[in-house]
Amino acid sequence: MHPNALQPTGPGLDSSAQPETFVAAILLVEDEPVTRASMAARLTRLGYRVLEAENGRAGLDMARRERPDLIIVDWMMPEMDGPTFCEAVRRDPLLKSSQILLMTSHDKPAQIAEGLVRGADDFLSKAASKQEITARVLAGLRTSRLVRELETTSSQLESSLLLLQAKQEEMEADLHSAAAFVHSLLPPQGSPVQGISLAWEYQPSLTLGGDLFGVMAIDAEHLALYILDASGHGVAAALRSASLMTFLRAENILQLIGSYDPEQVLFEANRRFPLSADGAYFTLWVGQLHLPTGSLTYASAGHPGALLSQTQSPARWLIRSSFPLGFDPSALYACDRIVLKPGDRLFLLSDGIYEVSSPGGELWGRERFQKTIDEGKPMSLSATIASSFSAARGWQQAQHFPDDAAVVGIEMTGDPEERLNG
Amino acid sequence: MKIKERILPQGIILDLEGDLTYANQAAFKVAVEKAKQAGCRHLIVNMEQVRFVDSAGLGLLVLVSQSFKRLQAQVSMLKPQNYVREIMSLANIPKMIPIYENEQDALIALAA
Repeated sequence: MHPNALQPTGPGLDSSAQPETFVAAILLVEDEPVTRASMAARLTRLGYRVLEAENGRAGLDMARRERPDLIIVDWMMPEMDGPTFCEAVRRDPLLKSSQILLMTSHDKPAQIAEGLVRGADDFLSKAASKQEITARVLAGLRTSRLVRELETTSSQLESSLLLLQAKQEEMEADLHSAAAFVHSLLPPQGSPVQGISLAWEYQPSLTLGGDLFGVMAIDAEHLALYILDASGHGVAAALRSASLMTFLRAENILQLIGSYDPEQVLFEANRRFPLSADGAYFTLWVGQLHLPTGSLTYASAGHPGALLSQTQSPARWLIRSSFPLGFDPSALYACDRIVLKPGDRLFLLSDGIYEVSSPGGELWGRERFQKTIDEGKPMSLSATIASSFSAARGWQQAQHFPDDAAVVGIEMTGDPEERLNG
Repeated sequence: MKIKERILPQGIILDLEGDLTYANQAAFKVAVEKAKQAGCRHLIVNMEQVRFVDSAGLGLLVLVSQSFKRLQAQVSMLKPQNYVREIMSLANIPKMIPIYENEQDALIALAA
């Protein structure tokens, strides 16, 4: 192998794929035929492939065609001189990283400075010795190789980034599709049965939320309602929630238990949804409303949010201390019972609505949430819920919630007879 | 979250400072694992400087309690702040993880 046969540096060449005998290409741009021939002969003897151009314009064309590893250009040339050639190379996106040796018969500092400013990388005196020419050419080729390696790496990084962006977009599209599906499982707002209004607002902290709820007619006389809250956030929590939601479908529960008795539903859910190995679990509140009488039977598995708002008295929480699902496989969940009258409202909520902090770090909290519900009595059900979200956002001075936030409201709008006949 | 470990003859006390939440539970997991590796029989989690525990933090505490029970070891908590105490109470946590108002009571109860 010739001593100057270098590792590959040519355009678009992969160093690992090229033969070891790759010979660097040097473009020599010189208008003086004798000087050009003499320098070309020297370089050829040193083992390089030499490309020759007789002026700057021809040199530019050849450089674009051949992408040489190094360009040696004479300063003084008619039509396009060396520094102008350097400027043209630096402006050309394809050539701008080329290594250029500016050849001159002068070595005045001002001239050198001008050459560097206009785009040259180094200088070569026309009177240089064989040793100096060898050293400067080798240095230029070393830099050229490093620059091209950088360009290759940068191009690979750019490709990887584009690939990652495409994957990210794909994943986000999937997440939005999954979120739309989960949203489609939520009960339609309006009137699930005659005499009862339903309104809700739901703001997942990420694209997919882990808080879900349901309101559904069990038979002509019963309405079942629940809210569940999966610990954690994101896709894993959403998937676990969808699984529990499937379990809580009326057909499934009626087949398993024979009724939507909250105590039995929680007992069965507790058995089937244990605490996961990484500490994930659910809280769940389940109620069953007897439409003819307005009697609401309910039970909670550690769920902190069910609030009763009655026309004549302040709102009160319908909760008691109990284990979330999966904390204790032998846990029993006791039922409580109240009677809802016309005008009464029941709100099921996740803690994400009131566990928001002000910029100073103070929690909004359950009491302030309760106050917005009390103050919302003169408003419509949906307006009351909207005002609670608005107050929470105002408190944290941010639109998005750090945790999933859900508030579901039902209102007894008609008398029991109407509900029964509806 | 900042965690300071204090090793006593009767067990290990973890002084927690900050929120115990989904976002910053890693430090707590590491501290607990270290205590387990050290053969700790009594782990006391000092909650006095914990302002907030979310559902994930709660799950983690229960998981830790259960894993210590499997090793015939115990976990207890010290002085949770009011809001944290309320969250614990709603989820019935004191039935699983005893809460004490001072270190002395916790150490005496653990020794009993």
